[in-house]
Amino acid sequence: MTGPGTVTASAGLTRTFAEADPADVDWLGGKGSGLARMSQQGLRVPPGYVIGTAACRSYLREGALPDGLAGEITTRLAELERRTGKTFGAGPVPLLLSVRSGAPVSMPGMMDTILNLGLDRAAAVALAAATGDSRFVADLIARFHAMYAETVLGAFDPGEGIDELVAQVRPGDDAGEVHDRIWRACEEALAASDGESVPADPRAQLFGAVEAVFRSWNTRRASTYREFHAIPHDLGTAVVVQSMVFGNLSDDSGSGVVFTRNPATGEPGLFGEYLAHSQGEDVVAGTRTPDPVDRALAPGLLDELRRTCAELERAQGDVLDIEFTVERSVLYFLQVRSAKRTPEAAVRIAADFLAEGEVGTAAALRHLTPEHVRQVQRPGFDTDEIDRARAAGRVLTTGIGACPGQVSGVLVLDPDRAKERADAGEDVILARAVTSPADLHGMIAARGIVTATGGSTSHAAVVARALGTACVVGAGALVVDGAARTLTIDGRTVAEGDEVSLDGAGGELLLGRISTATPAVATGALGSVLATAAEASGCEVLVRVTLPADVQYAREAGAHGLVTAVDDVLAATGHIDGLVRRLLDDAEMDGPFDRVAELVEQEFTPLLAAAGDLEVGVRAIDLVADEAREMLQQTAVTTRHPELAMPLGRPALVRAQLRGLARAAAAAGRTSGVHLALRHVCDPAEAAALRAIADEAAQESGGAVAVSVGAYLTSPRAVAGASRIAAAVDVVWVEVRALQAAVFGIPARQLLTAEPLDGYLRRGLLAVDPRTEIDQVVRGLLDGVAGAVRDGRTVGMRLSGEVPEEAAAQLFGLGFRRFAVDADGARPLVLALGKAAQTG
Amino acid sequence: MTAVVLDKTDYDVLDVVALKKMATTQVVATASGVAPDRVDAVLERLTGQGLVVVAGGSVLPTDDAEPALAAAAARFYAGVRSDADVLALVERFETTNARFLTTMSSWQQIDVGGRKVTNDHSDPDYDDKVVARLEKLVARLTPLLDALAGHDARFARYPERFAAALGSIDRGEHEFVSSPTIDSVHNIWFEFHEDLLRTLGRERAE
Repeated sequence: MTGPGTVTASAGLTRTFAEADPADVDWLGGKGSGLARMSQQGLRVPPGYVIGTAACRSYLREGALPDGLAGEITTRLAELERRTGKTFGAGPVPLLLSVRSGAPVSMPGMMDTILNLGLDRAAAVALAAATGDSRFVADLIARFHAMYAETVLGAFDPGEGIDELVAQVRPGDDAGEVHDRIWRACEEALAASDGESVPADPRAQLFGAVEAVFRSWNTRRASTYREFHAIPHDLGTAVVVQSMVFGNLSDDSGSGVVFTRNPATGEPGLFGEYLAHSQGEDVVAGTRTPDPVDRALAPGLLDELRRTCAELERAQGDVLDIEFTVERSVLYFLQVRSAKRTPEAAVRIAADFLAEGEVGTAAALRHLTPEHVRQVQRPGFDTDEIDRARAAGRVLTTGIGACPGQVSGVLVLDPDRAKERADAGEDVILARAVTSPADLHGMIAARGIVTATGGSTSHAAVVARALGTACVVGAGALVVDGAARTLTIDGRTVAEGDEVSLDGAGGELLLGRISTATPAVATGALGSVLATAAEASGCEVLVRVTLPADVQYAREAGAHGLVTAVDDVLAATGHIDGLVRRLLDDAEMDGPFDRVAELVEQEFTPLLAAAGDLEVGVRAIDLVADEAREMLQQTAVTTRHPELAMPLGRPALVRAQLRGLARAAAAAGRTSGVHLALRHVCDPAEAAALRAIADEAAQESGGAVAVSVGAYLTSPRAVAGASRIAAAVDVVWVEVRALQAAVFGIPARQLLTAEPLDGYLRRGLLAVDPRTEIDQVVRGLLDGVAGAVRDGRTVGMRLSGEVPEEAAAQLFGLGFRRFAVDADGARPLVLALGKAAQTG
Repeated sequence: MTAVVLDKTDYDVLDVVALKKMATTQVVATASGVAPDRVDAVLERLTGQGLVVVAGGSVLPTDDAEPALAAAAARFYAGVRSDADVLALVERFETTNARFLTTMSSWQQIDVGGRKVTNDHSDPDYDDKVVARLEKLVARLTPLLDALAGHDARFARYPERFAAALGSIDRGEHEFVSSPTIDSVHNIWFEFHEDLLRTLGRERAE
């Protein structure tokens, strides 16, 4: 670190990992900063240095290496030789280097890593003597040559045919002769295909690699990426030059990868692999089978690794993926990254972190995402039922699980018919011998796909994963008879239209339907994490229900209350057509809508009873609801009775619903916590009129049951006047999607589907996706609503569909603490709000 | 089975309709390279021959389309089927295709402790490596596409479509990797594979 070399180095174009300030990412680049941080945390990292982005900027400006850089590189090299006790381009142990690009912002198209740089004839001979393995050295030479030719010289597919030559080398062969033979063969192949040559001199290789990193800043892909992500073109990239360590020098050397916890299950304890006498590539290439790290590593080293992993995990508050090499019983850390993990592991890790209390709540929640939660809570086959089905011999066959998901439906053998039946509302499982692009429409329509041929990378597998549809491939026992419309499996025949069930993870195809349930992990470990998140945010989350049976699911998902709608409930109980007919027949138009009151009483009594003491918000019938315009025959109804298009166009209809709800509440034994809210209210005068109707109704009932009243705000005008509306009624909901649609001037239903907006956004015609981002204009309006919250009014945000984490955080940041969501959105939202509260 | 004899333009249009199964005339024109104003006339003729049906602005092939295409391909591509250079390149395509499929899978799923999980695209370095491999694999098709274009110019449309999809990916539109509903790299690759098999008169293995 300190020594004669640093005098020149202080000229400032290079910094060692030990002396660089990890915070200076602009100068060091992301990778350089990471290595500096690791070194300074006390991890033993193979020594190296960073050529700063300033040198790159100068190179790109001048077209040549900046003055003094060559001198600094030479000085740094001498320093590395001293620190490692190895020699560049010579024995007894040669110093080999890795050269990597490292921009401040990660971007595509930048130069890949070059490993094993510095391997000339002398170094090859020395390395063969040190490892006793000329074959290994031959392999290294071939790999280096191909890597250099490809990344520095831009050669296409170099090194073809060299593998056989390497394979012929025996460990005891003369290393000098082996070097010459392999190098010559590589050079000849490269000259023949690209007319290029890799310099034999290690110094020339080093300078060539550094320049190539600088040049890669301006590759087409990198500059296109910067263009579209508004990253300045003049940042430049840093170059990381690092000494290499060898896991194959001796029996007390080796290489491995560990996770600080099991990334598949989340189970605590080191999880990983170690291969003695090997380089990292051997593990990756799968040429030799590694051993579990806790059995293969010497006890002293294992202790050190364990201790370091635990410290790192605590310091970073995350499960880590760590690459390491042991060189002659000395442990070196090559890379420390956040570990990729399964959704189940993410949940378990968050729960364990919270229970262990070593890292804070914010860190424990940070790496659990709403998407993990969505995947974990996805309904799976009921465990008892699937066990019984297996025991009863209902498993038809088992193929390769290609895309997870447990689904049941009718078997269909043709994509056209699959689409027809799915369009008619059936759940379809599409079975094909093999799929091709011509089957796509059927695959999109199906809930599950099974094919007789193909592996986990076949067309069916790729498309199913792109669609997120459960899929099993390679079920070789399936024989599809298209003409007879039957499927034969080991002598059993299933006809099109029969019910089957499919497990896209385990690969089973079963006869008959199997009911689904929320997996145990979603209510167990996740439940405790969400309880912490809910406490952290202090938010109320109400969950949408329609039938009494939905209430239990909502409770399990952590609901503080419920929301529902009169039209939804009447549709689900089969009354809506009758109601619409009566409106069209004028049967009730001039009366008190007693039939509506009766139906509301009848269908809401069981729902309110199931709700127990949970708050229940009921949206009144909305005859102009965009999402239900066909079901409600809107054109016919509002042509005949235009006043029904307005929230209070027929006060009698509102009174009837209030009356019915009050009776239902009384029948369910409730005295409070129920409100009826009217959609599309946009003026304080409407709110005042609603208030008067409610007061009148309360008087009529003698005050025995108080159903409160509220307003659903859907228009910019309503939201702008939210404070005054909130002053007149008990409860106010802002329907965020409807508001977005209104601000964009797009029908709300267009925000529910992929098209037309996907295509439109792709053409660059909208700067904001109104389905996933809260628009600037909407944010401004909501900021005004936050004032009503501060005044103590009950104002909630009604959300729908998948709520992106970012949007939840924005709403939390604006000061909203009351939300209503669809049932599947509850857990992800509770998590997102908890995270927002921790970071905000 | 069919007495219909297709001319080359009819073949080009019907080929695209059969590959896409359901497409607008605009898409048919773009993928076949046949001028949009001529596509309508061709489709009318094909409708008359009972090979396609036009419904709601979309063109769909009938059951007779595949046999008609197979018969026509045997006539049009006898030269391709006996071209040793093409056949040698097709041999190499099998390896490239296998690598392509593996690369597609690694775009969609990541190996975590021995289990496959959906790639949530939170690691740009990982994604970048996969895209770089895809670009190389597409580049490897060039000699085969060039050789085929030497027999039939319509094969020159594939490199253009690949370039457009890769350009979109570079601009950050990741759905152009594998989305089945747009002209993604995966879609183009698969259509090409189907097209190649029909041209050669072979069956798909997987």
